[in-house]
Amino acid sequence: MRSRLFRSIVLTAGVLTVAGIWSPRVAGQASKNRPVIAGCPSVSAKFHPCALEKAKTFSPPRMPDGTPNLQGIWDAPLAMGFQNVEDFPGDPSPGGFGPAVTVIVDPADGKVPYFPWARAQREENIKKYIDPYAQCLPTGVPRQMANFRTRQITQSGNMISIVNEAGGHIFRVVYMDGRPHLSPAFKLWMGDSLGHWDGNTLVIETTNLNGRWWYDSMGHFASDALRVTERLTLVDADTLHYQATMEDPKVYTRPWTIVFPLERIKEKGYEQMEEACHEGDHDAAGFVLGGYQPYLGPRFPQ
Amino acid sequence: MKQFVFVLLVIALVPAWSRAQSRAVPRTADGKPDLSGIWQVMNTAAWDIQDHQAQKGVPAGQGVVEGNELPYTPAAAEKRKANFANRATADPETKCYLPGVPRITYMPFPFQIVQAPAQVTLLYEYAHAVRNIFMNTPHIEGQLYWWMGDSRGRWDGDTLVVDVTDFNDETWFDRAGNFHSDALHVVERYTLVDADHIGYEAAIEDSKVFTRPWKMSMILNRHREKNFRLLEYECFSF
Repeated sequence: MRSRLFRSIVLTAGVLTVAGIWSPRVAGQASKNRPVIAGCPSVSAKFHPCALEKAKTFSPPRMPDGTPNLQGIWDAPLAMGFQNVEDFPGDPSPGGFGPAVTVIVDPADGKVPYFPWARAQREENIKKYIDPYAQCLPTGVPRQMANFRTRQITQSGNMISIVNEAGGHIFRVVYMDGRPHLSPAFKLWMGDSLGHWDGNTLVIETTNLNGRWWYDSMGHFASDALRVTERLTLVDADTLHYQATMEDPKVYTRPWTIVFPLERIKEKGYEQMEEACHEGDHDAAGFVLGGYQPYLGPRFPQ
Repeated sequence: MKQFVFVLLVIALVPAWSRAQSRAVPRTADGKPDLSGIWQVMNTAAWDIQDHQAQKGVPAGQGVVEGNELPYTPAAAEKRKANFANRATADPETKCYLPGVPRITYMPFPFQIVQAPAQVTLLYEYAHAVRNIFMNTPHIEGQLYWWMGDSRGRWDGDTLVVDVTDFNDETWFDRAGNFHSDALHVVERYTLVDADHIGYEAAIEDSKVFTRPWKMSMILNRHREKNFRLLEYECFSF
């Protein structure tokens, strides 16, 4: 039920804003349709070692300054907009997403390593609260990279911008100039992202996140103590190995890591369009009427 | 003879002056002025694009409209009056909607220009608004009704010219009720006048609301503070 409402909001917002010129695009697709991506099995646990092995022998295209060129518009075909970072049993409602396998590669059981109270809160989240993304609030990190439709990476001087099409208006600027993180006084939806190169891999460290978003539509969450370390590595000309490790000592017993591929949109002249989410969102009130409450962040045990 | 000498002088000096000007601004690898950076206006157009005295909570300011007067049709002038009277609730900004163009430019928040040869991207601190300016491409076919419009750019010498169409009629120009219809057509001109200042112009056409085109102009100032970055103003999250 929740996921159907969620989809309806996403689609309503999208349809309202593109005013009828909606073109069907590759959104999250179930992996059953794509057994192989970049020559690797399309299940995160198997894609992960296979793609990193391939990346060792791939010489990426380079920017004039010699750094790997990750620029382009990227789709996340396995992440399914993060219906669930853990195993997803499938949504039986008409047009619902099919089942999907967890994107968590560590721990090996594919589960978020919550403290017991936090596992209980996850259950409560899905029963009581509105997915903040469904209210058109920003995705946070790493959901930005898994979100429906596409994101555009642009490398320019000492910064890299990552700009999404879906979800209203979402972007991050990753600074590569060695500056320090913002003071802890700042708690941001999209955090403070600082990047550096580790060989051919772009490493992004994100802190100063506000802990008010979910990873997915199933209530998986973090606190404002979260630190996300992302690693983006070209496997071939059109595929990125995307990895994110989450550390949050207030919520998780240990760090955990997700992996999924990002695929280049190769359609010539493809342009990301405007999606005005909040502006076209007349459905959020329905959630409140349905008894769901806005999510304001984790409630720690006393 | 005097005239002849003057003409010679002009012919001799203008190119030198132009070269001096063009050396003064940073340039990208393809020789275009490099607008990359974080910019912000230092004016009060967000409150009122026309000349206005101070009120409680509103700083006084000289307007940004050339000639100050806005050529509203009689019906539109009435609507503007009503907008002004009801501005505390009727201004789309109070609902946290995307503010449209050119209003986003002079909101009291910084924005970042990311420049690439085929696309100039404008990232705004206000509500994570984004504008993708696609270079040397036609507008999307058919009428769209976008909050921030469809932006197509080209270089006119050292000026980035952005043609913006396909707006909806739900945004205003300022907090004083100045408004437009979905027939709005904006032509923006971004000219780097030195390393840290962009001369910004927006030419406005809207035959449903105005009797003639008009223009606003202002300076965009580069943020030079160490480690300056965009923060967030996620308007409807508060």
